[in-house]
Amino acid sequence: MPQFRRYGTRLLLLFAGVVAAAQFADYLLVTRANRRNAVDRIHENLVKGAGLFARRVDARLQELSGRAALMSDDYSIRQLFLKDQPDPATVRSALRSYSVRMGVPFMTLISPEGVRIGDTGGPLPEAALKPFQDLVQVAAAAEDPKATGFARLPQASPDGKLYALLVVPIYAPKPEIVAWIGLAMPIDQRFALELKSDAQVEVTFYYGASESMLPVESTLGLGATPQTETPLGDSAVVTVLVAGEPYVTAYRPLLPLVTPGRAAIALQRSLRAELAPSLPLERFLLILLIASLIAAALVAAVLARNLSRPLRSLAEHTRVIASGDYATRLDLNRADEIGQLAAAFNRMSDGLAERDRVRDLLDKNVSPEVAAQLMKDGGALGGEEREVTVLFVDLRSFTRLSESLPPREVLILLNRYFDRMSGIVEIYHGIVDKYIGDAIMAIFGAPVTQPGHADNAILAALEMQSALARLNAELATEGRAKLSFGIGINTSRIIAGNIGSSRRLNYSVVGDGVNVAARLQDLTRMSQFKADILVSASTLKAARGSYRVRDLGAAPVRGRDEPVEVFAVEGPA
Amino acid sequence: MRHFLLFFLVVSLTASARASGTVRVVAKDPSGTPVADAVAYVLAIDAPAPVRPPADPVAIIQKDQEFLPYVTAVVVGTRVSFPNKDTVQHHVYSVSPAKKFEIPLYIGESSATILFDHPGPVTLGCNIHDWMVAYIYVLATPYFAKTGTDGAADITGLPPGRYRLELWHPRLAAKVGREITIEGTADSTQVVSVTLRPDRRIRRAPDSEGLGYK
Repeated sequence: MPQFRRYGTRLLLLFAGVVAAAQFADYLLVTRANRRNAVDRIHENLVKGAGLFARRVDARLQELSGRAALMSDDYSIRQLFLKDQPDPATVRSALRSYSVRMGVPFMTLISPEGVRIGDTGGPLPEAALKPFQDLVQVAAAAEDPKATGFARLPQASPDGKLYALLVVPIYAPKPEIVAWIGLAMPIDQRFALELKSDAQVEVTFYYGASESMLPVESTLGLGATPQTETPLGDSAVVTVLVAGEPYVTAYRPLLPLVTPGRAAIALQRSLRAELAPSLPLERFLLILLIASLIAAALVAAVLARNLSRPLRSLAEHTRVIASGDYATRLDLNRADEIGQLAAAFNRMSDGLAERDRVRDLLDKNVSPEVAAQLMKDGGALGGEEREVTVLFVDLRSFTRLSESLPPREVLILLNRYFDRMSGIVEIYHGIVDKYIGDAIMAIFGAPVTQPGHADNAILAALEMQSALARLNAELATEGRAKLSFGIGINTSRIIAGNIGSSRRLNYSVVGDGVNVAARLQDLTRMSQFKADILVSASTLKAARGSYRVRDLGAAPVRGRDEPVEVFAVEGPA
Repeated sequence: MRHFLLFFLVVSLTASARASGTVRVVAKDPSGTPVADAVAYVLAIDAPAPVRPPADPVAIIQKDQEFLPYVTAVVVGTRVSFPNKDTVQHHVYSVSPAKKFEIPLYIGESSATILFDHPGPVTLGCNIHDWMVAYIYVLATPYFAKTGTDGAADITGLPPGRYRLELWHPRLAAKVGREITIEGTADSTQVVSVTLRPDRRIRRAPDSEGLGYK
């Protein structure tokens, strides 16, 4: 089976094929039935023709037999037999006279012993004697003393003709047979033509010395009729080509044949002529076949277009979706399966857009690194212990400030501040773990391991300080109060992972180290420290860079038994 | 069976004091039915027997458009007359090899007598009436007789000696004959079975005047 690239081609072939098969089968059935009917009708005609031939020959021979009986009772013929030795010339002229009366071309007189007494002469006499003698023997033994048979005379001559022979007795008086009259009735073209006009069939007479027979007389013309190998006695109907045209042909042997060989009558009728009346119907069917093929092809083409166009649209749409455009919708405006498929595509686009939005929100709500981690592990609950640096930055006196401003203004200001600070966290590869009121909790070294997380946190804090200064300058020009913050930084081993319920998760860190960082940030409010950035000894220890720091000594931390070594970071070294 | 000749010979010899013997020949067909109109004759084997034709002609008359008798046996040299007792003319003829002749249309006593000078069967016909047929059997022996309706024929005046007994009939299918011996005056009866061909004579309708026969 060839593979067709286009669905439409396949549909076209299927449609056209089914229609063609049905129509062609129809056409074949009708033409075959017509042919069978035609052959049957012809067969009937041929059988009738064969019967008619037999009756005609019989009737003619009967008639001749009657005339011969009259002749045999004729006074003048007896006169011939009164002579001891009839005069041959007189016998011949008498027989010629009788043959004219009877309308036969040849006549002979044969003695009861089978000796020729005389004949009408012509080319036949010598050759014709033997068949007549044979018939005399048959007739002499018959209840009704006469005999008939077919013969080819002269026997050996290639232009010999077929005759029906009749032998009847001459009585003087009955039942004394003093001689036999032999008559030859030609089975010739005229006979064939008469039969043709009566039976409406073509007539060919065949003769052959051996198995094969050649046409001797034919209403179709001798040149056109083929020789035959059909066995005699076989009454089967065959189709024979005569000058290229099929003729349904029935053979009947001419029996008895008193000369050697075989003879037959072939009755034929043109199949084409018989089929002629049914040809318009067959032609109409053929036109119908072609018309329905064209119609089927058109319908198939329309259907294929109807189907393949939306399929192509769908394919095109998948490319649109693949390119990341989830906004475009496919509108095929149809209720069928393809319409359903388009709707499914649109729902898929909705889903993909939703996912994108979620991802976007995720990116905004959690840091890109966490978002990536969440996307990767699907937000499974879990955790790992690792060393990170936690940074807390909290606005001072913001509660008081917020009371003097409308809530919307507060939010705008806060977001402006958060935007700056969060940006710095991300610049230093940290993640904003969460916003707690006006505070930011940032983590460095998770979820992606960073060797310099402590440095990043300190540098971020320093940058935040600068950023705050710039923000305050802006706020000053806007006529607003300036902001101040405190930053606490601590490095420790904590548990990092997705924390929450199976419905709602946060990537976060838990552990004592987080608490320490928060406490350090609290400590910046202590006026004696005069510091905005406080770091623990563990952070300084983890940091590779060097910074200008002030040792503030050990400070007690709430929730911890041991005090924490606290340093104020004043700037890079 | 019809063409097969069954030959039954029952010879019963009876003592006779006469110098010549008589043979009674009984002709029967295979079914035992007597056969009439058969000519039985014997041919002398030892010494030829001269025939003496009768001085007067033998008559075969035509009456009711039929020949009478149907079969006539004559010796060679016999003259036969054909008197016509009918009111219509007849045209008697024969084309038989033993005697070909014709007596053109005549009525009443024909002056012509026909001399039958060759042995053999002669079939008589009438050119006018197809159904008329009769037979003359011309014999070269003086010893003959015709069977009657009982199938019997007596051949008389036979001197002792050996003879060949033969039988002829218009419808005889095959020749029959046997040798017999006449001793003294003894009479013998010869039953001869003959097979006949079917009778193909034209049959006239009973009341017709020559019309409607078949």
